[in-house]
Amino acid sequence: MRNKEPVLDDGEVVYEDGPGCGWNAFEDEDVMQQTSSIHDDEAKKLPYVGDKEPLSSLAAEYQSGSPILLEKIKVLAEQYASIRRTRGDGNCFFRGFMFSYLEHLLEAQDKAEIDRVKVNIERSRKALQTLGYAELTFEDFFTLFLEQLEDVIQGKETSISHEELVLRSRDQSVSDYVVMFFRFVTSAAIQNRSEFFEPFIMGLTNTTVEQFCKSAVEPMGEESDHVHITALSDALGVPIRVVYLDRSSCDTGGVSVNHHDFIPSADDLPSSSGSSEKKNPFITLLYRPGHYDILYPN
Amino acid sequence: MTSSSTSSRKNLSKIACNRLQKELTEWQASPPAGFNYKVSDNLQRWVIEVVGAPGTLYANETYRLQVDFPEHYPMEAPQVIFMNPAPMHPHIYSNGHICLDILYDSWSPAMTVSSVCISILSMLSSSTVKQRPEDNDRYVKNCRNGRSPKETRWWFHDDKV
Repeated sequence: MRNKEPVLDDGEVVYEDGPGCGWNAFEDEDVMQQTSSIHDDEAKKLPYVGDKEPLSSLAAEYQSGSPILLEKIKVLAEQYASIRRTRGDGNCFFRGFMFSYLEHLLEAQDKAEIDRVKVNIERSRKALQTLGYAELTFEDFFTLFLEQLEDVIQGKETSISHEELVLRSRDQSVSDYVVMFFRFVTSAAIQNRSEFFEPFIMGLTNTTVEQFCKSAVEPMGEESDHVHITALSDALGVPIRVVYLDRSSCDTGGVSVNHHDFIPSADDLPSSSGSSEKKNPFITLLYRPGHYDILYPN
Repeated sequence: MTSSSTSSRKNLSKIACNRLQKELTEWQASPPAGFNYKVSDNLQRWVIEVVGAPGTLYANETYRLQVDFPEHYPMEAPQVIFMNPAPMHPHIYSNGHICLDILYDSWSPAMTVSSVCISILSMLSSSTVKQRPEDNDRYVKNCRNGRSPKETRWWFHDDKV
């Protein structure tokens, strides 16, 4: 969901061909105050990462809406039991991935996966250095994420419970830093394989790969699409399933829900997971146009 | 009027402090060409001198940038304005506000004070005319309550200047 500033509601029109800059005036302080307090309320209603809810709560959203969506949610319910919502602040893909990944590690106590992913993280660190990023710009973000990886493993003084994981994912000083860590990793992965990503990026924005990373990957609040997901999944070696819920229907009449698995190249797959798991990513995100939430299988 | 002004800012968080210390050390080791920062005891506000690059409209002219760091730097962008008098430039308002995307929506923690300075100098250097933005007076009037440029909703059209 894009909760970037909604395009102006207070009158001032943009110069399309102006000599450079534009801005929108707030002539009326009261309107401005009011608008910003509405935004704040909207944002506060939903934490960065919500509670787990039954899938029926998703259906409830569409009760008076599109019948095809309700049909699709029924199909979805055959495979998925619950949903965990993320805040629609443009960081929802990264936030959903963060929670889902750390939750899996905590519940499975998957130390082998942690050892595996650390190798990829160090590879990302090197990639950033090689690309010319100053160490001081990214090291804090790497450190913080590595701490989270340690803390989900039980039996240590710093170990955290599931409840604490939820709290951290709602705490800006942890949550935003982890999101930014993923943005660095994603940016490095895209630039490292720029010849691969270039056609997709040109199709999206008509900018260079580097410019895309600077303007659409690295700033907080910039939304993710398949380029970001592919890059992050590849860089960390973590498969991700994205289930698509939209109004599209097939002509044959039957209602089905599509999904796409982002599978990193074979040698990077989690070594701890059995061969059957390789085909079933342990992270499943529900995509509705502009927004990602977390899904839990039955 | 209750618009939040720059004076109401909060102290730097611990992580912001650490990051700025590192940037300061890095700056002292290799300051960007054309810039001069005299270290003060206020880590949260840097006043930086910039000298126009040779061969540009601003050659040998000296201006001062005021950089204020928010509590959650670098997750939030620093506030960067030119101190009076601000250079005459199509993207710089007479109150010192700068229309440059990386200072607002396109800011990211991958940037530093140093990289921001370099972008601003490059913006100066590529200017072909010394003039204020067309809507300067209207904009400055709108900011009369000491509003931060970070509260303006900017639109960016021109990558070249």
